[in-house]
Amino acid sequence: MRKRILVVDDEEGLRLLYKEELEDEGWDVELAASGEESLEKLEGDAIDLVLLDIKMPGMDGVEVLRRVKERWKDLPVILCTAYPHYKHEFGTWASDAYVIKSSDLTELKQTIRDILGKRQ
Amino acid sequence: MGYDIIEKVTELSLSGLRLDAKLARAARFILDALPYEQCVFYILDPDGKAFVKRAFAGVDKALICSYGATDGLPGLVKKKKGPVEAYKLDTASTVWEGVNDAGLKGYKSALAYPLRDKETFFGVVYLKSARKASLSKSKRRTLGIIALQASSFIKCADLAESHERIHRDLLKIEERLASSEKLMALGDMAATLAHEIRNPLLSIGGFAGRLKKHLGPGSPGIPYVEQVLKEVVRLEKLMNGVTGFIKDSAVSLKPDDLNGIMEEVLALFDDEFKAHNITIQRDFSEGAMGVAADREQLKIAFDNLIVNAIQSMEHGGALRISTSHEGGRAVVSIADSGGGIEPGNLGYIFNPFFTTKTHGTGLGLPITNSIILRHKGLIEVENNPGVGVTFRVTLPYLRQLRSAC
Repeated sequence: MRKRILVVDDEEGLRLLYKEELEDEGWDVELAASGEESLEKLEGDAIDLVLLDIKMPGMDGVEVLRRVKERWKDLPVILCTAYPHYKHEFGTWASDAYVIKSSDLTELKQTIRDILGKRQ
Repeated sequence: MGYDIIEKVTELSLSGLRLDAKLARAARFILDALPYEQCVFYILDPDGKAFVKRAFAGVDKALICSYGATDGLPGLVKKKKGPVEAYKLDTASTVWEGVNDAGLKGYKSALAYPLRDKETFFGVVYLKSARKASLSKSKRRTLGIIALQASSFIKCADLAESHERIHRDLLKIEERLASSEKLMALGDMAATLAHEIRNPLLSIGGFAGRLKKHLGPGSPGIPYVEQVLKEVVRLEKLMNGVTGFIKDSAVSLKPDDLNGIMEEVLALFDDEFKAHNITIQRDFSEGAMGVAADREQLKIAFDNLIVNAIQSMEHGGALRISTSHEGGRAVVSIADSGGGIEPGNLGYIFNPFFTTKTHGTGLGLPITNSIILRHKGLIEVENNPGVGVTFRVTLPYLRQLRSAC
């Protein structure tokens, strides 16, 4: 069965980019434009992995991560951000991986493969 | 003598004359009214070591410009905290109570009054005569009042001077504050701009990559897309230097150990130090160094300084990091041996976008400056052209680190 990834990012261009690139890799992709929307989607759909932007207006990625981990303890979450230094703050807890945003999506795809592979 | 001279001297106190001129005129009034030929105001210098002739009237035969604080008649007045009168009986220079005063040579009588208020001794007014002079009780009283007036001249002048100094200092501080606030605002703006560029850049690069896939091998469009991708990578690299500075995030200060923060920052560069053959000398204060810190932000601030140091020592060098505690401030100093900053560039290093590097953003130091200012700290540069640069960061020291943690 194809794995389903939820991409949470407030930038429309990036949502589209992630969707196309990840679908090319053979995954199904759901999109959410905000933290609030992502939680709604998680209630409804069966999601295997969440790709989460940290900096978003309204509910930010850190808050979403906290709520996700409270409810779905085993759901893997990858944090994405422009800021490498967040790594020290969040890398060691809660999130399963941490990826620095880059137009080269190789690292991101590899991280997703690693995490989903482990779960099989 | 009497009310006349008191009136004249009081008018002097209200005049806009400078201290020296006031005292010189007062000396003239005294000589006009009293049987002396010479009147000198000797003022104790600020470190209290000597009396210096500040103003006078009448010709001084002995030409004494200054006395040691314990010498001569002025020294005796200071010791006694009251007026001293001396008569020379004959040619001997040793006079009254064993005072040895070269200034008395050629004179027969002398009188010195202290210039003082309740707390401070300012100096003496010193009168000399070649004849035998003596004053009535009322004249002495008048002279005492004039000495008091002269003391108030001196005190007023001191106050005016310190007022002026404070005003000058204040202007300087104001100027510095304005320029650091301006730099902070510019640094914020630059960081915001960099942040806003990041996501669109990712989008441009990502879609250019997709376009390349769609064009397929051999398509004439490929080189164009590849050029776009190349430029995106270049910009992304540049942006990596600025990331980490979060717009709008006021620092959240918690008690922390500056030595620990520095260790953590240095650990990140271990490989780079080795790669560039840079030796590290740690000169940390003993025990913890308490500061109120936003740890992550402060790490970025020091990170930038160390990156700069490494870039100035690409072919090896020595980096000395020291921390110390100086009068209520925690001090970190980062000294490199990278040849220093071109003196003409020194004034611009904290300006956003100013850079001497081919691929620099010109945002490292502005961001560091901004972070340090938000910590109520200060960053200073000591430049030794041809040798190296030392950046000194001072932050408020937290004594209560352990109990606060």
